Amino acid sequence: MLAVFRRELRAYFTSPIGFTFVGFFILLAGVFFAISNLLSGNPNYTGVLGSITFIFLFVVPILTMRLISEETRQKTDQLLITSPLSITGIVLGKYLAAVGVFLITLVITVVYPIIMSFFALGGLGWWEILGGYVGFFLLGSSFISVGLFFSSLTDNQLIAAVETFAALLLIWILDFIAQSVPSDAISGLVFLALLALALVALVFFSTRSNAAAVLTFVASAIVLVLLFILDRQFYEGLIARILNWFSLLKRYNDFSMGVLGLAPIVYYISFSGAFVFLTVRMIERRRWI
Amino acid sequence: MIQVENVTKKYGQRVAVDHLDFLVNKGEILGFLGPNGAGKSTTMNIITGYLSATEGSVKLDGHDILEEPEVVKRQIGYMPELPPVYVEMTVHDYLSFVSDIKGVPRSRRRENMDNAMERTRTTDVSGRLIKNLSKGYKQRVGLAQALIGTPPVLILDEPTIGLDPQQIIEIRNLIRELGKEHTIILSSHILPEVQAVCTRVLIINKGKIVASDTPENLSRGLVGDNRLTLRIAGPERDVLALIRGVNDVVKAEAVGSREPDTVDIVVEAGRESDIRRPLFHALARAGYPILMMKTMDLTLEDIFLNLITEEKEVS
Repeated sequence: MLAVFRRELRAYFTSPIGFTFVGFFILLAGVFFAISNLLSGNPNYTGVLGSITFIFLFVVPILTMRLISEETRQKTDQLLITSPLSITGIVLGKYLAAVGVFLITLVITVVYPIIMSFFALGGLGWWEILGGYVGFFLLGSSFISVGLFFSSLTDNQLIAAVETFAALLLIWILDFIAQSVPSDAISGLVFLALLALALVALVFFSTRSNAAAVLTFVASAIVLVLLFILDRQFYEGLIARILNWFSLLKRYNDFSMGVLGLAPIVYYISFSGAFVFLTVRMIERRRWI
Repeated sequence: MIQVENVTKKYGQRVAVDHLDFLVNKGEILGFLGPNGAGKSTTMNIITGYLSATEGSVKLDGHDILEEPEVVKRQIGYMPELPPVYVEMTVHDYLSFVSDIKGVPRSRRRENMDNAMERTRTTDVSGRLIKNLSKGYKQRVGLAQALIGTPPVLILDEPTIGLDPQQIIEIRNLIRELGKEHTIILSSHILPEVQAVCTRVLIINKGKIVASDTPENLSRGLVGDNRLTLRIAGPERDVLALIRGVNDVVKAEAVGSREPDTVDIVVEAGRESDIRRPLFHALARAGYPILMMKTMDLTLEDIFLNLITEEKEVS
């Protein structure tokens, strides 16, 4: 894993990609810093971090697009997979390298609050800034894990980048969607029923067994209907609740105010872990088809 | 040493490898021979653990590639069809990365890399970026990569493809030399290459083994003197008529004219008969000089046709 991590980190800075990422990020962060902190004389730095999260939409695809797709295209994955390394080790090494580039960038941006500290009369809230950075880092790392996953789906960098952008955009507008979805009990039931059908399809296609699919279908139908009869309240506003559960940005708000909570930290790490796991499964799966 | 049992690989409905069964003994140089798309690369990818077989198992010294991948992968050096090189790295950096992922101990790394580069003659280019190297050198770097960690088994997919004749000879000599210390499986679609290097040959067609034998035995049964190409100075019609009159000639066909006033003819004779002398006498008597006479090299296609038609006759 360490070998892959080192190679990948070096590859970022022997090609233009690493510099493009770092440069673009620092430039945009600098513009926001200059406008909202320096020029307006406002010492609220975590606010700046909060307002530049949209940069992730554009720079994360650049950072992650070639992580795995390029290996597939150049056939260097043959070297990695036939080496004694485990696939999990390979994927983790790559993920951590991308996160490493991001971390290096963040460390550079610490210059901004340091600049500010020369002018802030009452001193800066360093703990608050640290909290903001932790959240910002975790949010970015989660997005990078999404990019990593999409990079494993194709051997074309550009497609990987566009898919990552689309997925991140979807995550981005999840909050808006959640606000306007219907909240009555019936819609909640329909939504869950659709999810259950998807589960049935998944069971069918992974086991190829009619019995298992029918069993899943009957079981989920019973549970859904029973729930509807016994606890109608459960379905009210259900869609919004589910969508909110996937909302990465909502959890960032706490950090943005300088609050360091355990729950969102665990959430972000699990989110990244889930996508790293999916990537490993994706690569494993390619060997079987 | 390597035991391939009943291995089948399906891509959707298409069967790429069809119940393949064979053993590779320690110290052997086994050649996979077959046309493009016969399943050679797929088989190699399965043995090295890059792909998983739909059915069947591959074992190395009793260890299953799926159950104990790390144990097996440590024993195998693999050079795929396209050298798996990172083009933005220098040869030296690349090989040291390979040493890293193969877990070569630090103390032996330097010696190991020097040895691999020396054998593949890449020492001179060790400081250059791989993307700036020629195809032949990339191929050698790919081979050097397989040698890192001195694995007991080497699997080489078309090791001489894209090389010039001088380099082909070098690589063949290298493989022969490596065969003294390693067990080697190599693939090729060039018959003389397999003949020159291998101690045993598996001919694969459409994912199945069509023949398995030493190269000598295979060619003895298949390459005969029964087809000749002739270039004769004389009018086409007379010459053809004359040749068809010779004993044992089954077929004679004109295949065009490459020199003025001559005709090229392919002559086929009965399987066990040598018609070169009777042909010479007949043509000399008629006053048509023979400018060229050579036995036709059996191409791989001919061997396949032979093997496949023989199979049909048996069944």
